[in-house]
Amino acid sequence: MRFDRSIVPLVLLILGLCGGSLPLWGQDPAPAEPSTEVEPPPVHEELKRIAEQVALPELSGDHPFILRESNWSGQVEPGKARLIQVQLFKRNEYSFWFVVPDRKAGLNLSLYNGKGELVEGTNRKYETPNIVSLMTSAGETGIYYLRISMQTTAERPQPWTVIYAYR
Amino acid sequence: MKSSLFSVLLVGAAVSVGIAQEPPKRIDLNDPNLVVVDSSVIPIPLEIFSSLDKLGTQDWSKQVESREIKLDANRSRTAMLFGLVVSDGFIAVQAQDKEAVRRIGREVLRLSSSLGVASSVEQHANAIVNAAGQGDWPVCRKELDRTRQTVLNKMAELRDDELVGLVSLGGWLGGTQALASVLKQNYSVEGSDLLNQPELVKQLKDDFNTLPARAKRGKVFGQISQTLDHLQSLMKTDASGAISKGKVIEISLSTANLVEAIYEI
Repeated sequence: MRFDRSIVPLVLLILGLCGGSLPLWGQDPAPAEPSTEVEPPPVHEELKRIAEQVALPELSGDHPFILRESNWSGQVEPGKARLIQVQLFKRNEYSFWFVVPDRKAGLNLSLYNGKGELVEGTNRKYETPNIVSLMTSAGETGIYYLRISMQTTAERPQPWTVIYAYR
Repeated sequence: MKSSLFSVLLVGAAVSVGIAQEPPKRIDLNDPNLVVVDSSVIPIPLEIFSSLDKLGTQDWSKQVESREIKLDANRSRTAMLFGLVVSDGFIAVQAQDKEAVRRIGREVLRLSSSLGVASSVEQHANAIVNAAGQGDWPVCRKELDRTRQTVLNKMAELRDDELVGLVSLGGWLGGTQALASVLKQNYSVEGSDLLNQPELVKQLKDDFNTLPARAKRGKVFGQISQTLDHLQSLMKTDASGAISKGKVIEISLSTANLVEAIYEI
């Protein structure tokens, strides 16, 4: 995996301009609740908006990605992973963005083919670790598995959202 | 506690640096401890067309069809028609056919009205019609995807979950029919692999089969499961990584027959 930090200042500016008031669990610890896959929709909507703002630089220019309106969301516990099944098409490039609210939550995002083998891609880490993206391409048409995981730097389960774009 | 995301992120910028963890080189997809997210995102036709166009320009205009849509009281059928019409919209955008996109924008509104979600869709449908008039294809594409997603969200909100899967199925079917038809006319081994979607077909079939009987009333619904079974066996590459022209023709025929049956009352 390669890492690219060149767009950090821009992302910070974009996120700042969001002026959002997303609940920040890491800032205000509360008793842990039993984990569920379903979170109140407004949190996921807010996460989706943030991910879309972060994605903006990739959606313009000479060779822009085309953002899908669909997304995945759920909840993940510290130190745990989730797999997202996705159909990808040969010759296309894809970019995925994974976001959770807790700014201390380190995230990992990687792609595996239908045999469970890691697919090469470029990860972009942002200044706060609670957002990460992955740019990759499909070597062949078929089912792939996006693996999202949260490091134990987060103290509590986090709602998450993943968006993607293609070109 | 809620606090400004901006201020928190700026503080974070000074002290926090992402720590990269190397991902495992391989995962065991049969590991019973793996948690697979139980929601799917169905690719839109343009995502597939984008790949095919990289092999050379295709004539998408032949795939733009103008069908009369007769509605009845069967909301499941209307949901599938909605998915089909949105996929027709994507095809018309690919063909850059202004009149077809405008017509489809209006049909989208009519169908969403029949599904009881017109108020959520109206602004997107109008945006499609206006953008088509100006030949602004990126906006048409975005608004079509937004329309589709808005309807899915609204239906889920209204606890119309049964219809959500049918909209997705209709959209996938329309896109697959167009893709197979283009490949049939201009077959290439490289392009044929875009039809390699056995797991996706299985997922659509499983979703369809778990729908309650009340959501599958009407003669066309008996045909769907059978067609998906057939497509699952066809939409699979061989050892050389291709899908034969014969299978492409069969996929084209099967999908076209099912689409026809959905349009017929």
